Amino acid sequence: MTADLTELFEQYYGSLVRMLYRRTGDRDRAEDLAQETFARAVAAPPNNPRPWLFAVALNLVREDGRRALRQGRRLELLRTDERPEQGPENDYERNERSSAVRAALALLNERDREALLLKAEGFNYEEIAATLGLSKGAVGTTLARARRRLVEAYQSEGRGKHVAS
Amino acid sequence: MSHLDEGTLHALLDGELDVTEAREVQSHLGTCVACGSRLQEVKQFLAEADRLVGALEMPAATAASAPRPPRQSPPPSRRQLHEPETWDETPVLMVLDDAEALARRRRWFRALGWAAMIAVVVGGGRALLSVVGHGSLPPAHDITMAARPAPPAVASPQETGRPEQPAAQAPTAPARTLAKNRASAEKTNPAPKAAAVAPLVDSARDSADTAADEFADSAQSETETLAVGATAESVSTDSVARDTQAKDTARPEDELATRRAAAQALAELDRQRRRERAAAATAALQSAAPARADAPAAMEPPLPRTPEQRSQVYLRIGLDEAAKQLGSPVHVIEGMTPELIGLTYGRLVPGADPNRPVVRVVYVDSRGRMILLDQQRLRAGQTPSAAEGSLRWSAGDVMLYLRGEPGPDVLRSLQRRVR
Repeated sequence: MTADLTELFEQYYGSLVRMLYRRTGDRDRAEDLAQETFARAVAAPPNNPRPWLFAVALNLVREDGRRALRQGRRLELLRTDERPEQGPENDYERNERSSAVRAALALLNERDREALLLKAEGFNYEEIAATLGLSKGAVGTTLARARRRLVEAYQSEGRGKHVAS
Repeated sequence: MSHLDEGTLHALLDGELDVTEAREVQSHLGTCVACGSRLQEVKQFLAEADRLVGALEMPAATAASAPRPPRQSPPPSRRQLHEPETWDETPVLMVLDDAEALARRRRWFRALGWAAMIAVVVGGGRALLSVVGHGSLPPAHDITMAARPAPPAVASPQETGRPEQPAAQAPTAPARTLAKNRASAEKTNPAPKAAAVAPLVDSARDSADTAADEFADSAQSETETLAVGATAESVSTDSVARDTQAKDTARPEDELATRRAAAQALAELDRQRRRERAAAATAALQSAAPARADAPAAMEPPLPRTPEQRSQVYLRIGLDEAAKQLGSPVHVIEGMTPELIGLTYGRLVPGADPNRPVVRVVYVDSRGRMILLDQQRLRAGQTPSAAEGSLRWSAGDVMLYLRGEPGPDVLRSLQRRVR
């Protein structure tokens, strides 16, 4: 079934941007990559849209990362990650926590991280397997490792911080 | 059975084991204390990991900013033009290349062809005159007189008392412009002159060399085309009359003026069409906007074509897939046979998570009224917003929503039969 692009867009755009944001930590980049992903879907309408879209998006993230590496840190320097002014301390705390989570997530290997982010978008094992090119039987193990590592990295980072401060 | 590995425990908690596997795992867990406590540990990791990933929410500004379809327009299709409510951006509509636009463009090219033809014939006639030299030619005046028989054929509709054709057809704006264009071209009388080229070509053919011959051939064929065009398009008598008066005073500047006028008329035509297209697109968008605004609020009005459209299901799924989505078997109304099971958008179900699909079981009662039993798995941390006596309630990890065309009393009695 070749789904209508508009339908795909409505259905998956939000989810795709959220996943990309979690992966990259950069809202603009997440939106750009999502746009690019859908532009590719226009060129070659996918049969199994959700895994396809997310696989393309994750590939783009990886390519983008390699390119950024080649170009040195220019991109990082140019980018002004505009943080909307956060008023209450509540938000500050939330920011603190999300950057801690992001740091923990960065310690995972690529596949584990991606599996985790896809699961958070409601992917079932079969879809995760299709997106990441795993066997369905390997998804449980991958997720198990990813979840454990994320939690442990987050907790140990928290401890490290407390010791340091 | 040996001890359960961590992956299996995660798969169990994620609802990814099939019935036989789950049964085996459960029976092992019933007897193995070690695995039971590991399951508890895994549960904590799972919940905590979900919580952590869930904490990575985008800044509020992003969540609010409306997503836009990709810049690149999709492959042209009529369907998208007629369903503009699904597109947010005007440009997408404007660049659509449907059959009508193609036809318009073809007409445009035809008009361009006219301009080119006029230029060629006028230029060609002049060139031939200079090639052959005027010594061997009859005076230009005589030639144009010889070409006279053509105009009466054109004017005949009016002579027979029938209304002039262009007026009767109530020409649209572009057509008027085209007529104006033609009239201004005619003023400098390319047609009689072009017709006059024909006998000239005949007399020249004997003595001219091959190159001249070829040129003459093409000039003649173009002359014929022009003549046919002029007759078919029924030029008004008015312009023919002006024509006759003007032809003796044709000057070289007229060529330029003709070309300029033709170019102007074409440009104007083009502008007009672009305006029309823009207006049509805007109108389509405006009429689509209100429909989009209240779409999620209530059930769509009737006039459906398929049960899927009627129930707003974008994808039909089977029981297995539904169970996978929900993490547990799909809920049904006892004693009723579902019309279909499918997925719908979360945003169409008030109270549901708008970002995830909702499993929708569609029933039609004996009186043809539709009943929707919507189901969505609760996210970790999502609290069920159920209220006593409402048609929205939770069963385990699943939120259920019962809606439909029958009255609330009927729905409430059906609610008691949901299993």
